[in-house]
Amino acid sequence: MTDASTRISDQDSLWYKDAIIYELHVRAFQDSNGDGMGDFRGLTQRLDHLEQLGVTALWLLPFYPSPLKDDGYDISDYTSIHPSYGTLDDFRTFLDAAHTRGLKVITELVLNHTSDQHTWFQESRSSRDNSRRDWYVWSDSVDRYQQARIIFLDSELSNWAWDPVSRSYYWHRFFSHQPDLNFDCPAVREEMWKVMRFWLEMGVDGFRVDAVPYLVEREGTSCESLPETHEVLKSLRRRIDESFAGKILLAEANQWPSDVRPYFGDGDECHMAFHFPLMPRMFMAVRLEDRKPIIDILEQTPQIPETCQWATFLRNHDELTLEMVTDEERDYMYDEYAKDKSARLNLGIRRRLAPLMENDRRRIELMTSMLLSLPGTPIIYYGDEIGMGDNLYLGDRNGVRTPMQWSGGWNAGFSTADPEQLYSALISNPVYGYQVVNRESQRRSEHSLLSWTQHILGVRKSSRVFSRGSIEFLSAANHRVLAYVRQWNNERVLVVNNLSSSAQAAELDLRHLAGSIPIELFGGSLFPRIGQAPYLLTLGPYQFYWFRLRRF
Amino acid sequence: MMKANPIAIEPGVPGPEPAELPDDFLRQLTAAGEVDILLFVPSLNNRDTIGHVMNALQLGLVKYFPRERTAVLNADGGSHDGTPQVVRDSIITDFRAFLAANPLRTMHRITAAYDNSKGSWGALELLLSAAELMRAKACAVVSPDLLSIAPEWVESLVRPIRRQEFDFVAPIYHRHKYEGLLIKNLVAPVFRAAYGFRIREPMGSEFAFSGQLASRLLESGGWQQRCCEVGPALGVMAAAIANDYRTCQSFLGPRIYQSRRQEPDLVQVFQDSVGALFQGLEADHACWANRDGSSQVPTFGFEYSVALQPVRVSRKRLLQGFRLGVEELGAILEAILAPDTWRAVQDLGKLSDGGFHFPDELWVRVVYEFAASYHRSVLARDHLLQALLPLYRGKVFSFVMETERATTAEVENRLEELCLACERLKPYLVERWSQEK
Amino acid sequence: MADTIMNSLKEMLNHLAAAVEQFLPRLLVMLMIIIVGWLIAILSKTIARRALALAKFDALSESAGTAQLLRNAALPAPRDLVASLTFWVVWIVFLLLGIDALGVVSLRDQISQVLLFLPQIFVAVLILFVGFLLANFLARAALLAAVNANLPFARLLAGSVRFLVVLLTVSMALEQIALAHRTVLIAFTILFGAVMLGLAIAFGIASQHLARQVLQKSFSPGEAEKEEEITHL
Repeated sequence: MTDASTRISDQDSLWYKDAIIYELHVRAFQDSNGDGMGDFRGLTQRLDHLEQLGVTALWLLPFYPSPLKDDGYDISDYTSIHPSYGTLDDFRTFLDAAHTRGLKVITELVLNHTSDQHTWFQESRSSRDNSRRDWYVWSDSVDRYQQARIIFLDSELSNWAWDPVSRSYYWHRFFSHQPDLNFDCPAVREEMWKVMRFWLEMGVDGFRVDAVPYLVEREGTSCESLPETHEVLKSLRRRIDESFAGKILLAEANQWPSDVRPYFGDGDECHMAFHFPLMPRMFMAVRLEDRKPIIDILEQTPQIPETCQWATFLRNHDELTLEMVTDEERDYMYDEYAKDKSARLNLGIRRRLAPLMENDRRRIELMTSMLLSLPGTPIIYYGDEIGMGDNLYLGDRNGVRTPMQWSGGWNAGFSTADPEQLYSALISNPVYGYQVVNRESQRRSEHSLLSWTQHILGVRKSSRVFSRGSIEFLSAANHRVLAYVRQWNNERVLVVNNLSSSAQAAELDLRHLAGSIPIELFGGSLFPRIGQAPYLLTLGPYQFYWFRLRRF
Repeated sequence: MMKANPIAIEPGVPGPEPAELPDDFLRQLTAAGEVDILLFVPSLNNRDTIGHVMNALQLGLVKYFPRERTAVLNADGGSHDGTPQVVRDSIITDFRAFLAANPLRTMHRITAAYDNSKGSWGALELLLSAAELMRAKACAVVSPDLLSIAPEWVESLVRPIRRQEFDFVAPIYHRHKYEGLLIKNLVAPVFRAAYGFRIREPMGSEFAFSGQLASRLLESGGWQQRCCEVGPALGVMAAAIANDYRTCQSFLGPRIYQSRRQEPDLVQVFQDSVGALFQGLEADHACWANRDGSSQVPTFGFEYSVALQPVRVSRKRLLQGFRLGVEELGAILEAILAPDTWRAVQDLGKLSDGGFHFPDELWVRVVYEFAASYHRSVLARDHLLQALLPLYRGKVFSFVMETERATTAEVENRLEELCLACERLKPYLVERWSQEK
Repeated sequence: MADTIMNSLKEMLNHLAAAVEQFLPRLLVMLMIIIVGWLIAILSKTIARRALALAKFDALSESAGTAQLLRNAALPAPRDLVASLTFWVVWIVFLLLGIDALGVVSLRDQISQVLLFLPQIFVAVLILFVGFLLANFLARAALLAAVNANLPFARLLAGSVRFLVVLLTVSMALEQIALAHRTVLIAFTILFGAVMLGLAIAFGIASQHLARQVLQKSFSPGEAEKEEEITHL
């Protein structure tokens, strides 16, 4: 495979299948004007870093005007930029710069709700006979949709909130300051399409569609993933395909894979969807030193259409969600990864990758290796490439949203403002502080986590077998060893991971691959030819091998 | 110099080199790696029941120890009815059919064969080797012929070791008042009086022990000899008690097992169990001779009761056996029993059916004199044990007569009296024991 | 006359003196042999005792039932018995050697015969001893088995076993010393036949009753009560 054949080009409409996505928050990335908040100009300056790292797409968290009560997911204007982050022109400049570097840009599309500050809601609540009244879901009593669960258990008591202005209740699946839009109203659908067209025309390459299961409500149901919701998504997809080929929808539905499966439709709904249950199970597997959780969940994962892809991740801007695990598993995860109760939030753990791995480089690498070698398009959360820490003393999920640590200098190179002026305090403890953990120092060392990440991303991109290949698990008798063969066309890659903290021996039954020669992908070393006998590999603690299998 | 405790488990005394483990077994151990809990089921022609037992164990592990690293080890003594195949097939893939939980971890099942020529020790040796190699924290032994086993048994056996740091767990079964009469009337009272621990089932087939104890046992040569002689349960327990390991007992429930086509007859059973008891006393003399009284052993589990199948007793045959023994075995009994005791026993033979009563004190003296004679080898030990059997029948007859209408609690009190008599007369045992020939 | 008498007397005396002269050293030798033999016998007795003690002979014979048998026969303990036996055998051998040393021709033949016969007697005694032990052991085993199986006539059974084994032993012992070879054989055959016949008749008559009991039990299951319904373990 040469670079040319794998370069992600605009002609390749399946680019998202081969992508490596970098998730970042404009606010947290780079401040160019010294106001203590990141902005698009700053981001544009830092694109070199992302290009060098080797990611191929960026996913920007919400950057729209917003009262910022939910980290920007409470949008008050869909077609402009939050003044702190810059202007639409800044955004256009950034988009062009990214595209020049071959980076795709995915933005947030919050369909389900707006901020209560949005003019639509202001109009809707102003009187019961306002023309936008039916843009939101209103009710005179709280008895409707009683079967719908409350998602933010820690902060909300009901899905209905009282509006004193129009003296009735409005529906909200998330915070009460985020009223749900009414997708039964054709005008709302039309308006949202206009919003999408606005950004697509500007050049955005896709949307991460927030909270997709909750678009439509029906009495007597859980109000999640209703057929009407799928209908809304399908019609949006149709319109995209008609006018904006190659642009994608990435669905956020925190559900079991079999429940997420309908969001792919027959390849006519969303291009991608997050695989939520895999993530906690990868953490669990490493702690249990047992591959069972990973194999179990991937075996439960249904086949998806050829043009679709799962999006996988280790950490993101939210808590490490434990909704998609059993009670037993959740208790285990809490006990092992969040002994400190302050690290728990809702049904999850609000920590970054490095602290979760106790800053153990070997474990961080193993987790990244698994993320990059298991099926799906990997998403890397900003800062994790250098092993940034978190700040548990910041409320909600703000602990994992601290400024990016560029250097050991003033404000970690993030901003020239006074430290007090920063939107959030920097991490400055002796283990994860920016003086120790920063991009600048890691860039200088060939052996830093950053250099290693850069290297493994290069290996991952060297072949489409990782992004498009099938997976076959090998059942080594040793359950501490997770081994699988990825195959795409004639290309095969054997991956062997040692999930345990001690050295392990694994005997792999590779008879069906007899005759192949394993070539280690990081250093290019040859390993003995595979024969009929069990193939013996020994692995150090948390060690992993990626082998290309070649026949000579 | 200190007098060596005969069963002190001294690491310095090397045991016989254990047989080299088969490669396949070793491979399975490597794959399973370190475990927290190792359950052990030895088997020999148990096709009908072992599947049920294996399932119960797997469910028990998932239900009560979902986080622990576990393995179930089956050692087969050369079954020819397809038992190993049944074991291989008894994998539960979907636990949700039985439980709300699914296991977090891979559950390992290891199968091996043990050398049946060494008897039950062969199987236990395999377990101890596996426990050592897998660094098991807790091991439990379960019979393959159980019908009444439930997942809860795993918890009852293992929890005291995993959570309370005990080293040995003896079972308590829910028994009909006429079940386990030999244990109730002979083995348990004598064991309690001798070793000073109130263990209800010194010969229970289910028991558990800590990895620490297992390692010590494996290192000690003399102890292996013991286990060959007195059987694993009593052997491990005596070793635990004599070396001051923490011992407790745990309630399991009724013990119902599949009866075999060729059930060993009473003579054999009697000879084996009482022989093991006496053999144990002989070996542990240094440990028990100076203890007096008895202490309560921590007991876990809720002792529920269920209606058990009534047990019919042939009283006529019991009494007949006793009288025949007294009548015919005079020469032998005379050589074993003290003159007073023998006269009292002879008097019992003359009692009418209705007025028959075998006093506790007399029974205890009889047993103690037999134990001492066993120690002194007054006659061939097998013969000696067989000569005790008719007298035991007399005691059982007496017990059955006394407790015909008694409730469980009353029977318990009755047996407690017997135990106290045993403790009271212990000096007599010590005296008889050390008497010159 | 007197001379003749004196001469012959003198000759006699000379003869006697010569004889005594000749005999005295032999007597002395005999006495020495006997005394040394006695010492050696005592020594071998002690050695035997020690060796048997080391070999735990007592415990062995206890469990085999020998000890009890000997006690019943008012004999010393097995170790002492074997030790004394050793003493006597050794000493008798020396005694005979000593007598032989006297050089009395007529005695010499007798002694060699006795010496030749001694091992046979010894073996015969041994056979008898082992045989009695075996008889005792087997009889006890039979008795216990019969009693524990609640069989009537337990003692009769045990007695028969003992009798048969003893009979066999005696015949073997007699065979060993080859005494009246044929007579013994015939007598034994007759006796054996008679005993077997007697036993057959006795068992036949006895088992009539037994057989009836068995049949009654097997055809009326209601009456049959099985002890096995109690579990002892």
